[in-house]
Amino acid sequence: MASFAPYAYIQCPCTESNLPTRRLGSESPTDPLETEQEEPTFDPRAPRANYSLYPLEHLLYCEDCHQIRCPRCVIDELVACYCPNCLFEVPISTVKSEGNRCTRSCFQCPICIGPLSVSSIEAQRDGLGAEFAAYGGPYVLSCGFCNWSSDEIGIQLDKPNSIYNQLAKIRHGGKSLTNARERRKEREERSKLGYSPTIEEEGGSEDGQEKTDLNATEDFDAESQFGNLKAFYQAQLSESSPVSSLGLPGDYSYGSPGALSRIMGLYTGSSFADKKSRTKKGIMREARDAPEGLHIFSPSSDEEAVNRLRTEGWGNTVSTTQRKEQSEQNTHFLSDLRPIPYLLRTRRSKRCKTCRHILSKPESKVHSTRFRIRLVALNYIPSITIRPLQTSSSSLLRPMKPTQFLLTFKNPLFDSVKVNIATAAKTPGRFSSKVTVLCPQFEVGANTDAWEEALREGGNKGGEREKRRTKAEASEGQHQAEAGKVWERGRNWVSVVVEVIPASLRVQAPAFLKSEELQKDESPLREDEDVLEIPVFVRVEWEADPTHDDTGGLAAAGAKDKEVKEKRELAYWCVLGIGRIARD
Amino acid sequence: MSKKPPKGEYIETETGNKVSRRGQLVGTTNIILGGKSVIQAEVVIRGDLTREKQQGQGNQVAIAIGRYCIFSRACELRPPGKLYRGTFSHYPLKIADHVFVGPSSIIEAALIGNHVNIGANCVIGKFAIIKDYVRVLDGTVVPPNMVIPSFSIVAGRPAQVVGEIAEGEVDGFDLREAYRAVRN
Ligand SMILES: [Zn+2]
Ligand SMILES: [Zn+2]
Ligand SMILES: [Zn+2]
Ligand SMILES: [Zn+2]
Repeated sequence: MASFAPYAYIQCPCTESNLPTRRLGSESPTDPLETEQEEPTFDPRAPRANYSLYPLEHLLYCEDCHQIRCPRCVIDELVACYCPNCLFEVPISTVKSEGNRCTRSCFQCPICIGPLSVSSIEAQRDGLGAEFAAYGGPYVLSCGFCNWSSDEIGIQLDKPNSIYNQLAKIRHGGKSLTNARERRKEREERSKLGYSPTIEEEGGSEDGQEKTDLNATEDFDAESQFGNLKAFYQAQLSESSPVSSLGLPGDYSYGSPGALSRIMGLYTGSSFADKKSRTKKGIMREARDAPEGLHIFSPSSDEEAVNRLRTEGWGNTVSTTQRKEQSEQNTHFLSDLRPIPYLLRTRRSKRCKTCRHILSKPESKVHSTRFRIRLVALNYIPSITIRPLQTSSSSLLRPMKPTQFLLTFKNPLFDSVKVNIATAAKTPGRFSSKVTVLCPQFEVGANTDAWEEALREGGNKGGEREKRRTKAEASEGQHQAEAGKVWERGRNWVSVVVEVIPASLRVQAPAFLKSEELQKDESPLREDEDVLEIPVFVRVEWEADPTHDDTGGLAAAGAKDKEVKEKRELAYWCVLGIGRIARD
Repeated sequence: MSKKPPKGEYIETETGNKVSRRGQLVGTTNIILGGKSVIQAEVVIRGDLTREKQQGQGNQVAIAIGRYCIFSRACELRPPGKLYRGTFSHYPLKIADHVFVGPSSIIEAALIGNHVNIGANCVIGKFAIIKDYVRVLDGTVVPPNMVIPSFSIVAGRPAQVVGEIAEGEVDGFDLREAYRAVRN
């Protein structure tokens, strides 16, 4: 069995409505004892719990709401888009017009999603990629992971750069393809001149199609087809309702009379639209040929697919994941796959959903990894680490054997905090273990002495920690955990002992040993049911400086005593994963 | 500086590097260690793989390593090589500060940025570039020439970005504490 790393996950108070969502400072804090009894114990195994538990590192903290913020209660805001491969930033306006993929030379392998590199055909024979500088064209895209090459689908390139543009013009087998935009431009020009599109003018027609309906069934790539459809309906909209309610021609909004009657027509089986709008001059019509975006399904393509399946075999069909990455809809065979242009990635800043203050903001420079604002919960609430008090040979917990664990609370604040931890006597679930916190109330010192940390970096041999320990706790010799007493104490940390009696995982146990849940449900042990998780309610109280932010650095310490202190309180559920229980 | 008794696992250099006696550093003149790095037992560092043509022009850097890097047991660092203008040549492998490499991983990258954590049994392919604050999970195979942008978590064969590093995780990449914990 894999080794078990103890963990402490925190439940963001935003998730459960029955949990205290006190807005501290604005309301008077309620009596702790009273609320304790009202609240049901948080069950970390409840299906919903999965969505609300986070490691401390994943949480932010809003200084205005004085509350923990998780990914579900922050708003992401786009700062920039960039290509994860060439790392070039793409302006958001370009993303809107050109789409969300890198339009330079960055492609992923359609077979294995590995990065594709440009290499000369000549270099390919030597078996190594990225050699284009040494050789002349033609070039191919090749995968360094699975050895796929664009040569396999008959695509060769003339230049080693701006591959996106080159690929847009090449079909499988090397035939040229008119770019969607160029095509549209052509068509617009033609319509201006009063031509109707003829077969000869449409380049790149698919082979094997009957000549008679070539115009209608002509195969466009997905992008062109969408572009055509969009252009067509935009034109239709502006014709049927030249000026919309907002006064903008060609407005897409549902408020425009043309669109509205169309929608009504959809729901009422066209009779409504007919009656209402027949009198109107501009009735919207549907696309009726390929340049307008119409794609007619041809029955022969089905037959063709069946025949291909016969000859190429199942092994040459694409997997669902491979197909999902393709922009074309009808890719069934490996030979239909095209290189995937890299999807752009975003850099985002984060805001509090409640008060809209910024919680995290990256520096504006493209390659900087610094933050201008970074309010992480790590700097506001105590971290909890767990380790067994006695080192045992087995990594598993012995059932029914009392075992002691050390919980260490480390305070990041420049004020000392009062910590109050509460657990139910038994863990929830079918196999409930007994839990006792020996010291549920304690104070953790302030994180004032930042200098010490700085000095320690100067290459001390690490004996510092032990020294502090002996100083802090005179009763070091006592190895018996005592109720109501802190086990160990340091500058800004406190360790307390928790004793657990792990439950027996036997389903077929005598009735008096079984929990109520187990008596009801005697199904065999489920996945991870052997993990001993303790729900702990943590309440932290401290007196903060209202004028200084708590992480403001060393300067905050100076002017402290002059200010009026503000009482702060934070309460949340936390789940401690202690270990796996052995099966007996 | 401080002379350790000869029995200890690590030899500490003047710049604070802790190098295991059982580490295999080949071509040490071509290896630059920034200091305060840990090289554990059975680690292989191939400083002998340098650029073919210019050999004999004094020491050239095959592998440059920054400060506070930890190379776990049996991992291997190899400068990446490729055929260029008809001759096969190796190119320098650069590793910045606070880089952790897990046991039995093989690194053939061109560049590994600051604050990178590579798990156990990983392969970082030739000429891969890993930017700052990246976590490579155990058993990942990063294909040759792959670029991994900052704040990525990658996993799989071939490697794929599976997550982002959260704001609060940034501090956890600091290896000063881990360096201090390594003692004879
Ligand atoms: Zn939340
Ligand atoms: Zn790119
Ligand atoms: Zn591939
Ligand atoms: Zn807020």
